[in-house]
Amino acid sequence: MKQWFNSGKPWIWLTAGSVSISLIAVIGLLILIGWRGLSFFWPAQIHEMDVRANDGSISTIIGEVYDTETIPLERLKESGVQLDDFNEVALDRWLIKIGNREYVPLDFTWVLEPQIVRDETPADLAKLERSKDGNFYGYVVDVLENGKSVANGENVRAVLEQRIERVVEINEQAADLQDSEIGAINYQLNQLRLERRALDLEGQLTEAEKARISAAEQQLRDDYEVLEEELFALRDQASRDEVVMRDMRGVEVTLPMYRMLAVYFPNDMNLVEKIGHFFVQIGKFVSEDPREANTEGGVFPAIFGTVFMVLLMSVIVTPFGVIAAIYLHEYAGKNAITRLIRIAVINLAGVPSIVYGVFGLGFFVYMVGGSLDQVFYPEALPSPTFGTPGVMWAAITLAILTLPVVIVSTEEGLSRIPSTLREGSLALGATKAETLWRIIIPMASPAIMTGLILAVARAAGEVAPLMLVGVVKSAPMLPVDGNFPYFHLDRKFMHLGFHIYDVGFQSPNVEAARPLVYATSFLLVTVIIGLNLTAIGVRNHLREKYRSLEH
Amino acid sequence: MISVTPTNNQADSLDLENLTADQTAMEIRNLNLHYGDAQALHDISMAIPRNRVTAFIGPSGCGKSTLLRCINRMNDLVEICKVNGEIRLHDKNIYDKDVDVAELRRRVGMVFQRPNPFPKSIYENVVYGMRLMGVNDRRTLDEVVERSLKGAALWEEVKDRLNASAFSLSGGQQQRLVIARAIAIEPEVLLLDEPTSALDPISTLTIEELITELKEKYTVVIVTHNMQQAARVSDQTAFMYMGKLIEYADTNTLFTTPTQKQTEDYITGRYG
Repeated sequence: MKQWFNSGKPWIWLTAGSVSISLIAVIGLLILIGWRGLSFFWPAQIHEMDVRANDGSISTIIGEVYDTETIPLERLKESGVQLDDFNEVALDRWLIKIGNREYVPLDFTWVLEPQIVRDETPADLAKLERSKDGNFYGYVVDVLENGKSVANGENVRAVLEQRIERVVEINEQAADLQDSEIGAINYQLNQLRLERRALDLEGQLTEAEKARISAAEQQLRDDYEVLEEELFALRDQASRDEVVMRDMRGVEVTLPMYRMLAVYFPNDMNLVEKIGHFFVQIGKFVSEDPREANTEGGVFPAIFGTVFMVLLMSVIVTPFGVIAAIYLHEYAGKNAITRLIRIAVINLAGVPSIVYGVFGLGFFVYMVGGSLDQVFYPEALPSPTFGTPGVMWAAITLAILTLPVVIVSTEEGLSRIPSTLREGSLALGATKAETLWRIIIPMASPAIMTGLILAVARAAGEVAPLMLVGVVKSAPMLPVDGNFPYFHLDRKFMHLGFHIYDVGFQSPNVEAARPLVYATSFLLVTVIIGLNLTAIGVRNHLREKYRSLEH
Repeated sequence: MISVTPTNNQADSLDLENLTADQTAMEIRNLNLHYGDAQALHDISMAIPRNRVTAFIGPSGCGKSTLLRCINRMNDLVEICKVNGEIRLHDKNIYDKDVDVAELRRRVGMVFQRPNPFPKSIYENVVYGMRLMGVNDRRTLDEVVERSLKGAALWEEVKDRLNASAFSLSGGQQQRLVIARAIAIEPEVLLLDEPTSALDPISTLTIEELITELKEKYTVVIVTHNMQQAARVSDQTAFMYMGKLIEYADTNTLFTTPTQKQTEDYITGRYG
């Protein structure tokens, strides 16, 4: 035993064990959120169940099984549920999503397993995805055009699918019209209003200018009216059709078609169709805007906001960090003050991120932003332009938060470059600055990239400071669009990390949102890994190019 | 009794005490150097003749590399290093305040112990100094590359892969590339700091042959801890010991009839 101990093997076991535990933790985490998140997109069976209530009456429920949990019988008894013929200690209860939000008080319900007397999955059950009021579950009865039936019993499915396709297309056209053309007109009208205000403030609002601006406004309003008519025409077309459904109460209800997004018959899908459906749903999730207070639809604006903010932060933090590191390492005297500054920089990395958020809000948003508004955007006051949280302030705040990481790793990279290379360059008549630019910085670029990778990983995961300096639950416009100057850094933005918090803890129906939380978490991890892999790829390329440290 | 016999490719002997201005490349006058409180060089005076190879020999820590690094002011990089005295290049003290150090180093090039090519292509390594001077004309650079690589006896080996990384070369080739890089900007003096100590014998031989050729165009100063090498390549040799210049004479004279006891002890291997 003692010999075994002295051989050093326990040490190997100990170290290998630590690595294994870390590995298991990481893989376990990924599998958990991956599994829980991705299974959300798999088409679930729609159940039709008969449930016996406490008073003995039997009701029918149609919906998807969302979750199962085991609860002790004691607790049920305490809450007054009677199960006479059931004698075990615990039982399962199912969370069923029953949808049909406008007809039932809650679109989720709990069902105790022993109370289910019948459970079937009929192939005809349909799931209708809608842009409002969530999903609708039920049997398709008929399709109406201008109030008249256009389907007979057999082809009702095909007719419904085709009508939904039509309405989706029309809705897309309407949305395009609204976002791009009508949006552009609104934007230009606002610009004209600001221009008039600016001229007024400068005292240069001559009659000619007034006439010019009014004419431009009139022109835009005329255009607007044409487009508006077009939009109304599209809406009329979209509301032509209706669908008649029989819901779980057995009542036939007529639903307007223009709210429909898609119809599925998940009980009737084979494996290939299910896989196809799975990927289509994932595609929709990453490419669509959120609906219904973020509890449905996609997360595209949040992905865009996260990536855009992180890129903006990288653009800010890299030059700053590199320049600071160069000064500290190359020019600053090697004395106590330099060491003090270095320690201070390293300690900055330990400041809680919310503190940076407070700083960003107080200094950047209110002080710097407020001053910018007074100097450059007086015409828009009192409504602030940069004096309010926005994507630029968020990026700058996070850049300060991640600055220490970039400085430290750049400095390490600089100190790893062999002094012979510096001397070689200096001996050829290069000045120190020329040596830095031509030899040292290119060779330190892999280390700079390492710093950037760490900075990106930290920044993409931060939520707390962002809540103070620019993230919102729902941003109507992306920070990049087709209106000049294309990048609108004053706009607020959505962020995946905040989206998780918002959906998971702030939404009216936390149960419904749980799979979305996992899916969004998985997506956030994927986005960060994607950003990191890109940076690592660049770094490896640079390393290959400058691998000279090994002679 | 004498273990090292000079070979016969040396130039005619000169009167090192009384060189004419024409014959002198650089002149060191009463040079003292301190690292903090420790004195590393003691009152060194010597003249380095033009278009000849001058070798500094001596045991480790005798100050021969320090002296060499004074000649193009590489010691400026060491913060605690203080130099007193003069080193004159064309009758101008290089330690004067108005001297442009970068310009000085263009005129007095240096090659280091270990090959230190830049992480660039062979071509870019050679033209590095030219680009620093603002020369970017492709044709001029091409000519410089060919001339320099031929001058460093490397052209035949690399002419087909000038755009390959400098690290793809062997150690000896890298050292010749570094020499090509140094002579690309046409310095007057070339300082070699133990240029073969990290190389194998065959590469060493190539470099030694190259040094003999280089003196036709440049003044060469070489530091070496290898007495045979000094005897083979140099025209005059300076023996240093404990920061002092003990003896400076024609290589033939120094190795055959040293006047100082310390020199004799060193070249006969009694210490070193």
